[in-house]
Amino acid sequence: MDSNKKYWKGLEELNRTPEFVEKNKHEFAEPIPIEEVLSGGGLSAKTPRRDFLKALGFGVGAVTLAACQKVPVHKSIPYLVKPEEITPGIANYYSSTYEGSAILVKTREGRPIKVEGNPGDLLSKGGLSAQAQASVLELYDTSRVKDPKLNGNPTGWPQLDKFVKDELTAIKAGGKKISIVSSTVHSPSTLAVIADFITAFPTASHVTYDAVSYTGIIQANKNSFGKAVLPHYYFDKADVIVSFGADFLGTWISGEEFTSQYVKNRNNKSLEAKKMSRHIQFESGMSLTGTNADVRMPIKPSEDGIALMNLYNALSGTTLPGSKKLTNANADKAIVLVAKELLAAKGKSLVVAGSNDVSVQTLVNAINSLLGSYGTTIDLDNPSRQYAGNDTDWTKFVADAKAGLVDAVLFLDANPAYDYYNVKDIEAALKKIRLKVTFSDKDDETAALCNAVAPNHHYLESWGDDSAIEGYYTVVQPTINPVNNTRQAEESLLVWSDNAVKTYYTYLRANWETNLLAKGGLAGQAGWEALLQKGFINAAPVAAGTYSFALDLNAVAQTILSQSSKIAAGGKYELQVYQTPAMRDGKKANNPWLQELPDPVTKVTWDNFAAMSPSDIKELGLDEFQVVTIKSGNGYSVSLPVLSQPGQARGTVSVAVGYGRTAAGLVGNNVGKNAYPFYNLLNGTFQTTSAVSVDVTSDIFPLSQTQTHHSFEGRNVIREATFTEYKKNAAAGSGKDEEHEKYDLWEKSVDDASHSRPVYDWVMAIDLNACTGCGACVVACSAENNIPVVGKDEVGRRREMHWIRIDRYYSYDNGKGELNVTKEKEIDELKDFENVSVVHQPMLCQHCDHAPCETVCPVLATVHSSEGLNQMAYNRCVGTRYCANNCPYKVRRFNWFNYWNDSRFDNYLSNEHTQLVLNPDVTTRFRGVMEKCSMCVQRIQAGKLKAKIEKRPLADGEVKVACQQTCSANAIVFGNRNDPNSEVSKALNSERTYYVLEELNVKPGIGYQVKVRNTLSELQA
Amino acid sequence: MASHNESIIREPLITGKGITYAQITNDVLNPVENKPNKAWWIGFTVASLGSLLWVVSISYTFWFGLGAWGLNKTVGWAWDITGFVWWVGIGHAGTLISAVLLIFRQNWRNSINRSAEAMTIFAVICAATYIVAHMGRPWLAYFTLPLPNQYVLWVNWNSALMMDVFAISTYFSVSLLFWYTGLLPDIASIRDRATGLRRRIYSILSFGWTGSVKTWQRFETVSLILAGISTPLVLSVHTIVSFDFATSLEPGWHTTIFPPYFVAGAIFSGFAMVQTLLLVTRKVLGLENYITMFHIESMNKIIMLTGSIVGVAYITEFFIAWYSGVEYEQYAFINRATGPYWWAYWSMMSCNVISPQLFWSSKLRRSIKFSWFLSIIVNIGMWFERFVIIVTSLHRDYIPSSWVMFYPTWVDVSVFIGSIGIFFTMFLLFIRVLPSVAIAEVKLLLKTSSEQSKKKEIEEGHLDPVEVQYYKESLVKYDSVDMSDYEKI
Repeated sequence: MDSNKKYWKGLEELNRTPEFVEKNKHEFAEPIPIEEVLSGGGLSAKTPRRDFLKALGFGVGAVTLAACQKVPVHKSIPYLVKPEEITPGIANYYSSTYEGSAILVKTREGRPIKVEGNPGDLLSKGGLSAQAQASVLELYDTSRVKDPKLNGNPTGWPQLDKFVKDELTAIKAGGKKISIVSSTVHSPSTLAVIADFITAFPTASHVTYDAVSYTGIIQANKNSFGKAVLPHYYFDKADVIVSFGADFLGTWISGEEFTSQYVKNRNNKSLEAKKMSRHIQFESGMSLTGTNADVRMPIKPSEDGIALMNLYNALSGTTLPGSKKLTNANADKAIVLVAKELLAAKGKSLVVAGSNDVSVQTLVNAINSLLGSYGTTIDLDNPSRQYAGNDTDWTKFVADAKAGLVDAVLFLDANPAYDYYNVKDIEAALKKIRLKVTFSDKDDETAALCNAVAPNHHYLESWGDDSAIEGYYTVVQPTINPVNNTRQAEESLLVWSDNAVKTYYTYLRANWETNLLAKGGLAGQAGWEALLQKGFINAAPVAAGTYSFALDLNAVAQTILSQSSKIAAGGKYELQVYQTPAMRDGKKANNPWLQELPDPVTKVTWDNFAAMSPSDIKELGLDEFQVVTIKSGNGYSVSLPVLSQPGQARGTVSVAVGYGRTAAGLVGNNVGKNAYPFYNLLNGTFQTTSAVSVDVTSDIFPLSQTQTHHSFEGRNVIREATFTEYKKNAAAGSGKDEEHEKYDLWEKSVDDASHSRPVYDWVMAIDLNACTGCGACVVACSAENNIPVVGKDEVGRRREMHWIRIDRYYSYDNGKGELNVTKEKEIDELKDFENVSVVHQPMLCQHCDHAPCETVCPVLATVHSSEGLNQMAYNRCVGTRYCANNCPYKVRRFNWFNYWNDSRFDNYLSNEHTQLVLNPDVTTRFRGVMEKCSMCVQRIQAGKLKAKIEKRPLADGEVKVACQQTCSANAIVFGNRNDPNSEVSKALNSERTYYVLEELNVKPGIGYQVKVRNTLSELQA
Repeated sequence: MASHNESIIREPLITGKGITYAQITNDVLNPVENKPNKAWWIGFTVASLGSLLWVVSISYTFWFGLGAWGLNKTVGWAWDITGFVWWVGIGHAGTLISAVLLIFRQNWRNSINRSAEAMTIFAVICAATYIVAHMGRPWLAYFTLPLPNQYVLWVNWNSALMMDVFAISTYFSVSLLFWYTGLLPDIASIRDRATGLRRRIYSILSFGWTGSVKTWQRFETVSLILAGISTPLVLSVHTIVSFDFATSLEPGWHTTIFPPYFVAGAIFSGFAMVQTLLLVTRKVLGLENYITMFHIESMNKIIMLTGSIVGVAYITEFFIAWYSGVEYEQYAFINRATGPYWWAYWSMMSCNVISPQLFWSSKLRRSIKFSWFLSIIVNIGMWFERFVIIVTSLHRDYIPSSWVMFYPTWVDVSVFIGSIGIFFTMFLLFIRVLPSVAIAEVKLLLKTSSEQSKKKEIEEGHLDPVEVQYYKESLVKYDSVDMSDYEKI
């Protein structure tokens, strides 16, 4: 084809007109109006070019700047060299010791997050007290001392060591006394270190005192039997237990141990064997033990000794000089009956008294000797070492110091500036002392008076050992590197005394190697490792010998009578100072878990108070929580809100110690009032009772109680029976004889696959007869499930967050000795509030199979699992609270505030350091979300996974929920109902089992077992 | 609205001599077309301050969390749901007046339906704010809607709260539609008289209303259809609100009597609120000729009737509690009357049951001051009714250990007072920009007035005497009119 064809753009090109030729010279036929755009008209257009460029420039700049905002980077760095024992997400457990009890410490990624009982522990058999459960939180307490201090200023250890050593050397040369003042030390290695220190400084001595003293018992045993020891009691071997003011299930000597012993004769197993112990309590204030007693008689503190004299008279058939009747006629009657009971159960009975008075305890020894308790229920040959404080030594030290005889004092786990009855004496004494060192890891009241603070490790950072009972040795091992610049007190002592062994670990190893391992049949490195794994050794106990009492009791009776008349004559009211199971002696006042734990008896949190009889309150015309001023003979007075306490003896006031700390830390400062100054020294021991005057003020100081209605209104929420009834009919009181036909709207759907529980059906059984109401489960649950602490104000608004609570109800005397008055209107008309019975009921999510909460949630945030659990999907919850309203058990808790990140809750758990205690397996909940007991679903899941990996079925009892695990009474049993042989199935099959509000047909997953009381029917009129 | 065959001598629904169609338009549009008077400004200032209080208290709640309210572990609902039910209840009168009375051809409703419907809408808005505000996490309120999502999460159709979401939103949409449809011819009237920007706005709002016969015919049909849809809502909405309580397990809530009892209570409180508003409005806006003593008396009669129904319901609840033999149910009711909240119960009883009985006296029924006073009493009483149901049931239910008292905080009180502020702000703005009386519908009632002018023409001799004679005879013969009465008009 010819390609030379030419196409013209137009006639102009063909004709090559001059205009075309001219135009064709340029690239563009027509000029581009660049000039015009760049100047003049372009700038005055509607959208000028420059504005456009400005906008563009700004836009790009702004976007760039915005993009420069650093996105927070959360680095998660894997281990470069992974420690062999740490697998992220898997917990490690280390055996250790808490106050003589073998424990297991759960650590996650190197930080301890929970303390659990060691099932082999001699004392609590795997249970743990509320205090022990809460102890892990103290490790992360921000008010711990971060560095050693000299004269109040932070310093380094070398400087401190130099100062202390120089001083000690100078003091040694001067020849004046050096005193190590401590609360009871039962660690053999610590005692050895102290002994070595004393060898190095011959003028040194070790003074032991306990804020709450047991010198009375020790001294009485010395007088009676020549053995200055605290006996080891066996409540499980006693069929009849009589306690005169000893709160042995709570605060007396070894509460957890005694609880597990006590329950052995009262739990389901014992009942099925038709056996139940009888427990009679004589006391003035209502104690935790008193709430559990079968018969409880309120008596005044001044009549404590007289009641014991009357009991002795009734038992021995003699009459001690000066014996007289009690003001409570019922109590008098009871004493005679009790004497009969005791004699009938000779050798299987136990009488204990809470008094710290030597003569009272001597009388108790005489009674126990009459009853043949020594060698059976009381063991003097394998004694307890839990309390060894000596009031005489202690007061002598204070007197010596005041006289200027002491030049150095080292305080180990001692805070006398708070807990000594006469703080002025301590201040005066310390002024005269040249070197004052405290090992406290807090800036406590005593630290403020010392010139050196050598902060001790927290026990979870320490090496050590313990021996709470003769022959029982436990080991303490660290579970984390020291958080602060602290040093173990023992190591400080070694350094200061220039001991050949410089580190306490080496010292401890050597001590065990030479003295202790052999007692457990262990030896060498392998033995040590075995010990660390097991946590304890238990040497075979010496056979408990029988002892008989041979002293003359006339002098004892005289002392008792004279003391009684002192208390009774002094004023209108008799004051009894006691400990609450939550706060104890106040050393742990800075622990928010304990402050928020409701007192088992009064349900008061965050305060102490003056407990008085409702009759006395009526008589004085007091309003609820009206402040009264209590003034004792020694001039000390406190103003406390009054609390109406049913069961309190008329004319008595009870005030708890452990409060009123001024230098405990952010949490514990100025919570309540200090009651230690009410102590008085009598016959060489500290007495907790005194005569006081009670003056009414016009102030009202509201207490924050978690329960404000105290009777169960005759509702069958609580079901009770007497032991006599139970023996006739095991189902007595359980409502089983009222069975009626059941109707079920969902019968069909329950059978279909989507609603069945193919493998597991998680349920729980709670034995009301075993539960003592101590509240350890509440703290265990808080630790396990990251439950926020909300503080006094919020508790006062009735917004505590606990997933498990213990309901406590009083029933009153109907005038005939039957304790069955429970209705509000009838109680209002009562005059006698002394004779009451108490029941504790742990209440938590019942995981109902027909859960009323599930049907009302608009967004399906709470649903049922195929394993029978009622579950919360926090992320789905919008917070209508309809579920909580519709829950008949009122166990759902709403996050009213963002507790984990709200500056108003800074005192409690919202700071970053303290949050290290959180359980990473449980999410913290945001505000506006409902929460409740999950039956520790994370533990169930972990257990199931472990079984799956090991290709075996999950064994019964392998998964324990937190509340169950810590319960020394084993009142809570959890497990799979689909397994007919599981513990829980057996428990639920018990005749005593009933379900709370079962008539609503919500099908709760928690069965309760009827409370059985072994009452003395002869007492009923 | 359709045909009206009322006797000419029946008491006229519009009073006053010589009222013409133009007069009506002028009267009703007076507040819309002129600057507001002092009374309006005072009211608006107070209401706006109330709204501001609401903004402050709700912001405080959203910032800190629901802990700002006085609720606790046992009482999970108190002033919030009390306020919610109170507002929803108030809304009911509007729908009853506009829909049910329309279907029953109660023409007297024509003068009050507009304001009552506006009140419904504003009350439902106030109720809706409570639904969102009472949530722990209000920013997730959309979770309550069945929106498809990648998590395959769905809502719970068993929950009465879920039904509530639908009941309230349906109710709001239908009420709004009904109200706005009725407004169309009136907006067109404003448009026709307005100029400038106002004319443009009202022109858009009137949806191009032409006023042709076909438009009117369609208007009437739509109104009837919407009335038909709304009528069941009058019953269903508060029935479903009552399900929030009735379907629960709570003693004092779990009651089958709740649906009718709640509906009667809602109408009761709604009419009281209409009285509260209109007695003031007719005075301030000079609408006495349109909202007459007849209206006031009729509404008072309804208040008396529904108040009595509510009273019977209260007594029935007690009877059933006793008759059921259920311990918890019995305690719940004894506790209401004699427990710590006895004062709330007796406030409710005296306000709701005893005081409306005073309307048996026609003197009191016809006293404007007394009617207004009593309408306030009823509003207070109905608030207490919801408070009694919610708080006194919750605060002491099954497990005595959880029994508590509820104390409101300043935030609780402020949110409630603030919601009243919001309501009045909206209502006051409404009477400024839209006709507070349905002009078109009121004009239908003017029959009496036209009779007056006819008579005037007869008297002045403008009409053929034969026809006049025939007309008068027909009046006697077909309309049963006594000539002596005819002379009086």
